[in-house]
Amino acid sequence: MDVLLQALLNGILIGGILICLTVGFQLTFGVLHVIDFAVGGWVMLGGYAAYWASRLLGIDPFISVFFVFALFTLIGCALGPLIYHVRTSRYARPDLMALAFTFGIFIMMRGGALWLWSFDSRSVGSVLSGASFSLGPVTVPLLRLSAFGMALLLGLGLFVLLYRTRFGLAVRAVAQNRDHAGLMGVDVKRVSAYVYGIYTGITASAGVLLATIYSVNPEVGVRYTLFAFFVAVLAGLGSVGGVLVAGLVLGLVESLVGTYVGTRYSLLVVFATLYLVLLISPKGILQRGI
Amino acid sequence: MVSKLSRSRFSGVLASFVGLVILAVLPGFVDPYSLRIVTGVLMWAGLACAWNIVGGYAGYISFGHSAFFGIGAYVTGILMQRDLGIPFLATLPLGILVAVGVAAAIGGPTMRLRGAYFAIATWAFAEMLMQVAIILDITGGTAGLSLPAYLNEFFFYYTMLVVALLAYLGTWYLLERTRFGFRLKALRDHEPAAEAMGIHTTLVKVQAFALSAGITSLFGSIYAYWVTFIDPRSVMGPEITDQMVVMVLLGGLGTVWGPALGATVLWLINRYIWSELGDTTIYLPILGLIIAMIVLFLPNGLISLLPGGRRGGGLMGRLLRKL
Repeated sequence: MDVLLQALLNGILIGGILICLTVGFQLTFGVLHVIDFAVGGWVMLGGYAAYWASRLLGIDPFISVFFVFALFTLIGCALGPLIYHVRTSRYARPDLMALAFTFGIFIMMRGGALWLWSFDSRSVGSVLSGASFSLGPVTVPLLRLSAFGMALLLGLGLFVLLYRTRFGLAVRAVAQNRDHAGLMGVDVKRVSAYVYGIYTGITASAGVLLATIYSVNPEVGVRYTLFAFFVAVLAGLGSVGGVLVAGLVLGLVESLVGTYVGTRYSLLVVFATLYLVLLISPKGILQRGI
Repeated sequence: MVSKLSRSRFSGVLASFVGLVILAVLPGFVDPYSLRIVTGVLMWAGLACAWNIVGGYAGYISFGHSAFFGIGAYVTGILMQRDLGIPFLATLPLGILVAVGVAAAIGGPTMRLRGAYFAIATWAFAEMLMQVAIILDITGGTAGLSLPAYLNEFFFYYTMLVVALLAYLGTWYLLERTRFGFRLKALRDHEPAAEAMGIHTTLVKVQAFALSAGITSLFGSIYAYWVTFIDPRSVMGPEITDQMVVMVLLGGLGTVWGPALGATVLWLINRYIWSELGDTTIYLPILGLIIAMIVLFLPNGLISLLPGGRRGGGLMGRLLRKL
């Protein structure tokens, strides 16, 4: 029973970070209609940024996460117009070309990390590492709890931005209908670029949090791309709200399979579930996809 | 007019004939190392051709073709183990059979998904299969599987050559000369319209998928026997699919000869980096950069740069069309 409670707690704490990892991805799909293969790449690069900040400058990841957010938002805003250009181009299949484009960016990130920083796994230390407190039968690691809290903060910030500001109104208008939003005076291209920037910023921040809990190496990108796809497909592509449920589901599935079946089966289970969900209900289990 | 046509027809025949003769006698003139590189070019050209059937002609971007390459490699690898001892050539049809069976089975439900959903589903399927290969005992898990060694570079060169030629001639005939090809292109361009015209789109798509899977698996089988050692990452890893996609995009999506051009250029770059720099990791960022640049600046691929090049055309295509 204690083991079960502990597994559930771990699952929920990781699930919170997975939510943070996927909300931006969903927003990008809703606004730009692009599946970003590079989502795991942003997570990985965020992790490396935190590693170097802590290694070279001695900044704790819970502080550097803000700088990482700002830096990657800028990078994303620079890259956003290119993706917008490909997606709205006059190619025969702009959706597939955009997919191939992000696929290329992802390979570039993974290969670049391999080339520059080798296969080695690097762990990012924080002052909170190792500290924990007991809550009844379960142990609550302070690091995971703080990471969970930070992820919720970021996610909440995004929701406030989307539903309480003029910019958020513009974003939602573009997501509903790009042409009509343009006719109402929304600068669609600029909004798309900003959305891509916010997405890369928030995803890289999730990468910082994940790097403090696990570690970072060039191969983690593939894993987190899978996780983002899993959460997104389960929630229904483009549905930001559904992510809240789907992220927790993935966190719990991973934690429970890891505890009771064996960690080497967890990826298999995640891939198999993703494939089956796509076949049975491509709009997501909540039927909220677009 | 007639004489002009027959003259260009004659030059086309001549060029193809010269090309074939060069390929046929090549092993007598180059050192074993270069021969291995050319064998690699042939293999990748064939794989790119297989991917192009689904990606270029049906318009379904598959990120899961490494699964079929791995199926071929593992069928041959497992059947050739000492306790079974089935001869190499007998394992080829079995590998194709398994791959076509799997493709036909998953093709129906998977190909109902469009665009990005299809890409994610095939990717998940391939990664799932790789996890299975890691977990199972019969595949040797992560430790891999050794095959009986057969050190005859000529054999592998000619096998790859024959299979690659058959793959290209077969796809050229099927996709550019038969009703099947027209149906496939019709559904790529507008699926609901194709269906309204009375085309059984699901059947055509699954047939194309199975054809593509069978060719891919055939190369997987030969590759396994060629390198004599396989493990899940080397024959089912995402790098296999990555390269197939890049080669087709580089050469020209949905053209007959584009994949061959893309495969030749990219594989030579790959080998050059490998031998000159001794560092294969830089190959990956270059690969990624090539994809991004192609999408931005050359969406119709290298073949559109050739004289007379256009979608479905190009110099090589023109030469062959005149045969």
